[in-house]
Amino acid sequence: MEIKKTAVAGTLESSDCMVTVEPAAKGLELDLESAVIRQYGRQIRKVAMETLKRLGVKKARVSIVDKGALDCTIKARVECAVMRAAEHEGRVNWGGMIR
Amino acid sequence: MGIGIYSPPLSARQKEEYLQLLEACGLRDEGDADIIALMTEDGRLIACGALAGHTVKQLAVSSDAEGQGAMAAVLSALIAEAYAAGIHRLFLCTKPENLSMFRSMGFHSVIETKDAVLLENRKGGLDGFLASIPKYDGVCGAVVCNCDPFTLGHRHLIEYAAAHCDSLYVFAVSEKGSMFSPEERLEMIRKGTADIENCHVFESDLYLISRATFPAYFIRDESRADLVKSDLDIELFCRRIAPALNISIRFAGEEPFSPVTRAYNERMKELLPAYGIRFEEIPRFAEISAGKVRTLIEAGEPEKTGEMVPESTYEVIQRRS
Repeated sequence: MEIKKTAVAGTLESSDCMVTVEPAAKGLELDLESAVIRQYGRQIRKVAMETLKRLGVKKARVSIVDKGALDCTIKARVECAVMRAAEHEGRVNWGGMIR
Repeated sequence: MGIGIYSPPLSARQKEEYLQLLEACGLRDEGDADIIALMTEDGRLIACGALAGHTVKQLAVSSDAEGQGAMAAVLSALIAEAYAAGIHRLFLCTKPENLSMFRSMGFHSVIETKDAVLLENRKGGLDGFLASIPKYDGVCGAVVCNCDPFTLGHRHLIEYAAAHCDSLYVFAVSEKGSMFSPEERLEMIRKGTADIENCHVFESDLYLISRATFPAYFIRDESRADLVKSDLDIELFCRRIAPALNISIRFAGEEPFSPVTRAYNERMKELLPAYGIRFEEIPRFAEISAGKVRTLIEAGEPEKTGEMVPESTYEVIQRRS
């Protein structure tokens, strides 16, 4: 999926996360900010990278500000931000890429 | 509990509650908000915030609602609105004691003074901006100007400045909200100085004289020039920009008309020398001011501006009228 514009999803509220996806010239860059980065940093990155891979995102700058989100929340916020950034809203392939 | 997004003006009742909340938090309404977010609980205002251009401001939470995530909710709503409007770069100015809270919300410090901190939502934004600007040898000077529009007065200032240093950086204010767009102003400055070899024109990328660094400049409440706070802007220039670009002289035009700009010049005169930067104020050239040019344009007499602006600016004025 091609990232065409900058988009954001999620909030900064407790148990949520805010994900920003921006176009990039090459590769995937992931920046993470979290109060629990020492405990869960690796897991959050893993969930985010898996989600990006499943969506076929090859080039993007992704930033996650985590406020203690569960894996399912992180996945959903990444998916939503990517869909918006790829101008793909309204034609989401439920059960396909999003599952 | 819910958050409403409003375009000013607010209703009388909303405004009253909004002003009360700001006052209780030691803030005042600066009146330049594009949108205002109000969070209410049982019909009572418990938190608010506003967006003015690229700047998040007027963030306040009532004391009895603190610690319940109201600030996070209001900030989230404002960020969502900004992105939806295509504004991706956001700045925020706060007291130093709030720094860690906003850091945990994805903001990064740009400059810290003893009373205030400027943050932005992009990591290393200022470093990236400075890295994008070429470095020159010898004595480097700087002019920061809005040039709304670029007049013979600006030309005079830049000519003088370029003659008094080896390389001159001219930073065009990149904030919107002037009569001419940032792109038009940049074009006017570039064309109007194209023949000055050691003059190099750049966008200020919101790091110099922007609604984030120096809000008073854009609010133009001339009656309250005594309250003008420009230290953040000046310290950002002195501590981050000037050292990176080896700038040792800042030139500015003398300001007989605008109290806000005059107060800014006065403050530069006080602060710059401590950082080893010389401040030079150049007397105004032939009573020309961009304000007079704008007045003529607004009065529908753009043809009368010909004597005050260079050819290249006159073309831009004619193009728009």
